Formats: sequence, structure tokens, C-alpha cells
Amino acid sequence: MAYGLINADQIGTSVANTSLGAGDASLMKNRIINGAMTISQYNGTSSVTPSTTNTYPIDRWQYNASQSSKFAIQQNGGAVTPPVGFINYLGCTSQSAYSVGASESFVLQQSIEGLNVYDLGWGSANAKTVTLSFWVYSSLTGTFGGALANNGNTRCYPFSYSIPVANTWTQISITIAGDTTGTWTTDNSAGIKLRFSLGAGATVSGTAGSWSGTNYYSATGAVSVVGTNGATFYITGVQLEVGSSATGYEYRQYGQEWALCQRYYQGTSNVHTSSSAYPFTTRYPVTTRATPTITTTLGGGGGTPGIYDISTSGFRYQNDTSQRDFTWTASAEL
Amino acid sequence: MYKLQKNSSNEINSVIRLSDNATIPFDPANTDYQEYLKWLEAGNTPEAAS
Repeated sequence: MAYGLINADQIGTSVANTSLGAGDASLMKNRIINGAMTISQYNGTSSVTPSTTNTYPIDRWQYNASQSSKFAIQQNGGAVTPPVGFINYLGCTSQSAYSVGASESFVLQQSIEGLNVYDLGWGSANAKTVTLSFWVYSSLTGTFGGALANNGNTRCYPFSYSIPVANTWTQISITIAGDTTGTWTTDNSAGIKLRFSLGAGATVSGTAGSWSGTNYYSATGAVSVVGTNGATFYITGVQLEVGSSATGYEYRQYGQEWALCQRYYQGTSNVHTSSSAYPFTTRYPVTTRATPTITTTLGGGGGTPGIYDISTSGFRYQNDTSQRDFTWTASAEL
Repeated sequence: MYKLQKNSSNEINSVIRLSDNATIPFDPANTDYQEYLKWLEAGNTPEAAS
């Protein structure tokens, strides 16, 4: 039997093995999850004004602030037209004119799991260069800031970018040489923290464009969005990829992006207990990053279901002799 | 404030955060458990399991 000729490149000759997974590779080149702000399990399209300093207005994006109730945050908040190629963005609107203290910070942060960036080789001589790109829109103009940090906040890279025209989407690209020192975790804890500053004090802002051993949230002299009442900051299309230039945004299928988010947070519609006090087992649709915290919201019925034997795949729940409807969420955020 | 909780084998391997009734497993990788450990280190004591 004759077979057709297979004409294949040999890795290491016509295709350099060092370019695999970089550049225009289209599979998982973006280390950011929900960079297009499409998945919103926490709040849907509702606006939230976080009263606590560590919350998730939208999947995978943590709002971390030194003061409560300084921003209203919402998927597509502000109702502007997203940049071409996107249907969603994360909108932040300042609720007051707050003067940031020297050690205070207001940031949107995504912690990237170490298992998703271990190949970058950060903390070694083989550290790879990465490029951060995103679309941003603000009522303010000037030089804005952010930072990359490791899990222990002992290695940080402040960066800055310019928004030259107010109320206009601007695409930003920032290339960052990988850190050759420091400890960069490669397990299921936070590998890289990406921060976009909405305001940061002098002692938590550093020189843009170089690695430091100090914990920074922004670049020195950056615009403070929280300092102007009603100021807006909208962002979408966030991508962090290997290589020294930004490539097109990696669009993933909606269900795939949702499943990626569910590794860190997921919830259900109504479940119920029986009147026989019989224990039930529920399974998550996606295995979680760590054993998650289970939070329940009670519906109709009586008693309070107990949550037992939580694992990364599911948990058991049991009520007394009452029937009770409830919903649950599982949080394994970083 | 927290309250210890027993599992189906009558072992304590989770804690209930009383502010929102969340059940937090004793997993070092769980950030809520990490916060609970800090709370303990600050000298606080959880309520006993019922």
C-alpha cells in the first residue's frame, strides 16, 4: 500500500523551537483570563460600589483598594461603544475626589496562576520577554500607571502609558523584559500579578520600566483617577503574551473562557434538600484551583443546610428534616 | 468571627465565617483560609463546633 508524502517541518530547523508558544501562536498565547471582560458571574451587568477593599466586580479581575466605596464598577459601565472587535469592557467611575495617602492604592488586579506562566522562566537567566496590550478609555488624559508583581510582592515592575485624548479608546502596548531574579511561583498560587492603577500614593509608586524589590502598584507621577469625582476608566482587550511585540487579541470561544473562569469561581441556580435529612453530593462543572470556599444563599423552606467534605471536585450538603432551597457559590480565587 | 465545623467523619476540617455563613476548608491554597490563619495569629479564637 502506498502512502502520500508527508511534508513536515522539523522542530529546531525551519521552525525554531524557541518560537513555539510565542508570537502569533493562537492557542493560549494570552495568559490573561477574561481579558475581554465577557464573563460576569459575580454581578452580571449590575453596578457595584465595593464597600470592602478586596472584591471581584467581574470574573478574574480583583478590585483592591485602601478605602471603601470610591468607585462604581460595572461590565459596560458608562454605556460607551467598546473598541472595534469587542462587545464588553470593565467600566470604573470615581465616586468622589479623594486625595490618596502616601501608602494607599486603588487597583484592578488579575493574579495569574503560576501553573499558567511557569514556562516564562522568570527568576532565572532564561526569563522570557512578555508584551502587555490592552484598550483603555478615560475622561482624563496624561500618563497612567500599573505594575507587575510576584506572589510575595518582593519583585515589581511599574509601567506607564499615555492616554493622549479623553473619552477615546486608545490601544496600549508595553514590552517587559522578564525578571531574571526573585522568586516566581510556578504552582497553583499566584505566579504574576498584573495591576492597573486607579490611584496610588508616593511610597507605593516606583520608577517605570525597571524591576525593583519594592512592592509597587503604579508608576511615579501617574494620573489618579480616584482624585477626580466622576472620572472614568474603562478597559478591555487585556492580553499578556510571550514575545517583544503585541499580536492580535486571542479570541476564545465563550464556553471556553467561562470554563477558565470557573476554575476560580462558580455558582449555581437553585438546589434543594429533602425532608428526609438525606445527604446530597454536588459536583462542580470545572475542577477548582484549590479547595474552594462555599457560600450559600437560602431560599424557601426551613433549616440551614450544612456544607461538608469540600474538595476541588464537589461537596456534600445536608439539612435537618426540612426542605430548603438554596444557591451556592464556590470561590477558589487567588 | 469564625466557628469550627465537623465533617461527616466528625473531624474538624473547615470553619464557618459567621459574617456570611461561608464554609472555608482547611486548604493552605485557599485565600480565605489564609485570612483565617492571620486572624488566629492575631490572637483570636473561633467558636467551638456544635
